[in-house]
Amino acid sequence: MILPRFEYKKARTIEEALELYSRYNGEAFYLAGGTDLIPLLKLRLFNPRAVIDIKGIQGLRAISKKAGSLIVGPNVTLYELKDNLEVRGYLPCLSESLDATSCETLQMRGTIGGNILQNTRCLQYNKSLEWRTARGFCYKMGGETCNVVPGVRSCLSNYCGDNAPALMTVDAKVRLVGPEGERTVKIEKLFSGDGKIPFNVKKGEFITEIIIPLKKTDGAYEKLTVRGSIDYPLVGVAVTAKDDYARIAVTGIGPSPRLYELKKINVKAINDIADKAYEDARPVLNAVLTPAYRKKMVRVLIKKACNRLGLGGSK
Amino acid sequence: MKTVRVTLEVNNEKIRLEVKPYETLLETLRERLSLTGAKEACSLGSCGACTILLNGTPVRSCLILTPEVDGASITTIEGLQKGDKLHPLQEAFMEKGAVQCGFCTSGMIITAKGLLDRNSKPDKKAIIKTMSSNICRCTGYKKIVEAVEEASRRPE
Repeated sequence: MILPRFEYKKARTIEEALELYSRYNGEAFYLAGGTDLIPLLKLRLFNPRAVIDIKGIQGLRAISKKAGSLIVGPNVTLYELKDNLEVRGYLPCLSESLDATSCETLQMRGTIGGNILQNTRCLQYNKSLEWRTARGFCYKMGGETCNVVPGVRSCLSNYCGDNAPALMTVDAKVRLVGPEGERTVKIEKLFSGDGKIPFNVKKGEFITEIIIPLKKTDGAYEKLTVRGSIDYPLVGVAVTAKDDYARIAVTGIGPSPRLYELKKINVKAINDIADKAYEDARPVLNAVLTPAYRKKMVRVLIKKACNRLGLGGSK
Repeated sequence: MKTVRVTLEVNNEKIRLEVKPYETLLETLRERLSLTGAKEACSLGSCGACTILLNGTPVRSCLILTPEVDGASITTIEGLQKGDKLHPLQEAFMEKGAVQCGFCTSGMIITAKGLLDRNSKPDKKAIIKTMSSNICRCTGYKKIVEAVEEASRRPE
């Protein structure tokens, strides 16, 4: 498949990247690992005038510790992060979600920043231009309808990141830089809830740091897939527990992961959360398994992850 | 359209090229350098048929722009043999019958090379996990795993 025409620019500093972005009037994409962006360009889902390679920016590919937090550069690859001793020892949920992401070769190229901000997906969207033209454009392509659920008001494409939900359960934040300056937000605030523009990221902004509190936690990530490798989650469940408190995030259904809190861990509380997550999940026919099955698996995977951790004495 | 000048070291040979800014590394290797061992199949990063070693790391060359890898060292399947002698992985793939239609083979061997370079004695579980990065539509996975196990027992 041939890429559309665009210019290639390499940024050496954050300022240079922002300057390039404004020079192209925002008709540009930042490029890190490219494992999400390049297929989107090949399918003509976006036609930027330029891509701005931010891999050469010093300092965006480091992992450090500061004031009880792990500071991860967005250009750290998923494979490098998975191998990090702090992640392995303190953040087992993230460690498992990184390991479950796609496959080893793509983990070695894909970056954590890009993985968090990967675009939402839909069976009717991630298709060639010819296919989409024949079908008619949906909300996400600038059209006036949804091709999966006619009459629905907003885009229901699925967020298929494995690691953002894990980061939500460990209360991570991201630092963003853009033409209007810097800001730090909780990772759950990044999601808009509308698949058309799934992130609350302003024009020209990119992630410069992922800030993860370093506390020893218990955690697990469970993922529903059809193959077991090179798969997006059809449902993903991240669980992190510390003492008598746990957080659970559900991904793969709808444009943003859902976060739940367990303030007291016991079997009843786990069952109640699993039931609530089951009620909240509204999958539609836009992935390779049926909505009914994916909905059921939300409850199953939450209980499975909690059982594996022995939460509420359930082991 | 302005072209981009890049210098690559491909299979131990220094090469200077002018490429399109939107040219993938796979296109450069296949169409400019006639290294057709890496294949284009899905073109979207799912299958692994285009896997090459970029500074020793296995990557999907269909997802990488050539200007991104200016100055890098690249090894393709053509660069594995030394003189007339095939790489132990290539020999093991032949001996174990791990090649059916052959389209996935170069990607499989490069992925396996990446694994053996990181871990010279992987157990079967590690081999299966790494090799799951690549898809074989003939589904000849068993013999592929056996071939990698066999190659791990032989000196390079």
